[in-house]
Amino acid sequence: MNKAAILKRILEIIPGGLSWSIIISLIILSFLHPVSSAIIIISFDFYWIIRTLYLTTLLVMAHARLSRQRNEDWLARCLNLPANLGFSELYQVVIFPVYNEGLEVLRPSLEALSRSHYPKEKIILVMAFEERNKQAHDLALILEKEFSGRFGAHLSTFHPDGILGESRTKGANATWAAKMVKKFLDTRRIAYEQVVVSCFDADTCVDQEYFGCLSYHFLTSDKRHQASYQPMPVYNNNIWQAPSFARLVEISSSFCQMIESMRLEKFVTFSSHSMSFKTLVQIDYWPTNMISDDSVIYWKGYLYYNGDYRVIPLYVTVSLDVAYSSNIWRTMVVQYKQKRRWAWGVENFPFVVNGFIRNKQISLFHKLRRSFHLLESHVTWAVWAVILIVIGPLPIFFGGAFFSQTAIAYNLPKITGLLFKFTLFTSLTWIFLSWTILPPRPKGISWFKHLFLILEWIFVPFIILIIGSAPAIDAQTRLMLAKYMEFNSTLKGNKVL
Amino acid sequence: MLNFQKTRGILFYLSVFIFFIGLPFILSFALGYKFNQHSLKFVKTGLIFVKTQPAGAKIYLNGKLTSEKSPASMQELLPGTYKVTLELAQYYPWNGQVEVEAGRVSRVDKVIFFPVRPNLQQLNQEKFSSFRIDPEKKTIYYLDQEKKALYRSNLEANNFEDLVSLPDKFSQINGWEVSADQKKVFIFNYHQISVIFFDPRLDDEYASSIVFLDYPQEKVVNVFWHSDSYHLVVLTNKHVQVIESRLNAAPVNLVELNKEGSAAFYDTKKDALYFSDSQRDLEGNFYNNLYKLELSTNLYSLEKLISQPFGQVKPLEKKELRE
Repeated sequence: MNKAAILKRILEIIPGGLSWSIIISLIILSFLHPVSSAIIIISFDFYWIIRTLYLTTLLVMAHARLSRQRNEDWLARCLNLPANLGFSELYQVVIFPVYNEGLEVLRPSLEALSRSHYPKEKIILVMAFEERNKQAHDLALILEKEFSGRFGAHLSTFHPDGILGESRTKGANATWAAKMVKKFLDTRRIAYEQVVVSCFDADTCVDQEYFGCLSYHFLTSDKRHQASYQPMPVYNNNIWQAPSFARLVEISSSFCQMIESMRLEKFVTFSSHSMSFKTLVQIDYWPTNMISDDSVIYWKGYLYYNGDYRVIPLYVTVSLDVAYSSNIWRTMVVQYKQKRRWAWGVENFPFVVNGFIRNKQISLFHKLRRSFHLLESHVTWAVWAVILIVIGPLPIFFGGAFFSQTAIAYNLPKITGLLFKFTLFTSLTWIFLSWTILPPRPKGISWFKHLFLILEWIFVPFIILIIGSAPAIDAQTRLMLAKYMEFNSTLKGNKVL
Repeated sequence: MLNFQKTRGILFYLSVFIFFIGLPFILSFALGYKFNQHSLKFVKTGLIFVKTQPAGAKIYLNGKLTSEKSPASMQELLPGTYKVTLELAQYYPWNGQVEVEAGRVSRVDKVIFFPVRPNLQQLNQEKFSSFRIDPEKKTIYYLDQEKKALYRSNLEANNFEDLVSLPDKFSQINGWEVSADQKKVFIFNYHQISVIFFDPRLDDEYASSIVFLDYPQEKVVNVFWHSDSYHLVVLTNKHVQVIESRLNAAPVNLVELNKEGSAAFYDTKKDALYFSDSQRDLEGNFYNNLYKLELSTNLYSLEKLISQPFGQVKPLEKKELRE
């Protein structure tokens, strides 16, 4: 094993090792020194309450921005921009990497795209199929026929299986498609600077104003090519049909993304996103051997531009499918696997730190800061629910007779309970906001479901336990043990699969 | 965007500030510390946790009424002894001294309030000498020594029914018990046991409604019904014996006792007699032993449970059974 490989392994071990160390040491401490354990737990509880209040405030702010900006006529604003900014020459390339999704998923995405409040002749649609998918050519033909003439161009690409150095990932498919687009643009003599590329999950239904908003921000931003553009993902496509469990998880995911959009210094691309095609070519496209291509593409840009690369939040929504299945157990499994795939973003840590070690231009402060943010976010994800729910009561159970007679043993459950009452306020805020981002109730769905959508929040503690830390611990442990994950498309769809 | 980021920055530092300012207070409270305004120092305190049954009692600490009602915890108490009084209307108050130690909880959590006017109900007004309640908890049996009569009622002291008249020659009754089948009663004094049948017609075996068993040589200490409601287990000053409850029955001595006045308990469900007796070993040491004599129909054995020496402990052999 050479030095680089050893370093990579060490970096892969760090997040999981840290998470497990925290969990195990707190459990041991609960037995050996319950007073110290109780002090740590109370401190963590208090930290968590403050953090929740802080993040909920950010969520309210992000929600206010979303409410205001999503209804703007962005196209009109683009048309009013000075001509030298080049709106008339701007092209939108939209890539939909398709794994094994069928027409019931793809058709609504293209319908939504065709309803965009944006000049369609400027949209280049790319349906990126996998060659190994036997249905791919048939699907491509059907969609080309159905949507012919609705966009400036409609390309279907077929990513060959087994290219050397590639894994079976979405990024490999998207990269293949982007290379085909490059050839297409070269043929049409369209400059890469004039092209914005969006890579969407197959189930992404864009808001009508999305491309207007994207174009406006792209054209008016400083160093427009040194930025990715991130819409707010909401899971509205099938939210009225999805079971409570899955719905709550996805609403929480949307909220987390909205909160992240307020923390620009930590903001990283996630899921469907857009960027300059010129930059995409310069940084050699999406990674072809990593699952978390959506976030790694940001880090590639960050390293390429020596830290002068950012993510600009777009307060318009892209709507995706809630991942669920035919019964609650299978839904839990689907959700767990999806969250584990998201948590696999921990593979960014060795990638980024390796990049930082090689890069001599980025300041040490920024390197440390970004590395810490990345590590802290993944470790916190893995341990917080375990500390709050599992380790929290341990000193009481295992502290012994002496500890049970101490003031801190008596006060621990009281203080924890009191602190968590504060989170009721934040929960009420989340409930209210979740209600406001719901799409209109479809015909045939009872008004009673509105009430149910509020009451279902009482399940949150159980969901936290299952979907909170477990997938992150799982992903980090796999990375720690070099049991690398393979890409698996999440079961999605408007119909129950 | 800038404004949002500025606001966010302010919120962030405000959160950090609240955390670092609030945490010492929360931890010191949790650990039982209290800020002393006079000495300007943190002093470690203790607390008293009070829980009563029923709840809602007023709590006095050193004679001073607190604002809390049970269950409650009195926090931030300086170490020392506190006089705690718990009061609840209609109940007897609870008083006690509670020692408070620094950083520890003193629990007063096993307080049961007893009502000032207990739920006392007079069932009847009779002149009986003693009473028994049958094992099934359905009947009260009354024995009136003066009138020499046994009668019964239900548990509400209604539906009285005269059962039997006691023999006149029993001037003194040392004990009595109704049989498990509730068809007869024995009475005894020092030298005689008498079994009186409530309804002799029910059992042709019995020629008379009263059976007398005489003990001229021994002194009857205690008598128990065997679960078959036919045999009597008799503890005299000399023996443990069984005797049938029929005329002219001869007792069977099961155990010879070494001392008079043995204490005894009879487990009717298992037909086991527990009794005490003394013993002297070869070296002259005295022991007071507890024995269990099993008298069930399919098991008959004697077992020594404990041996309490008067002097030093010596291993003892099992007491011989006497048939």
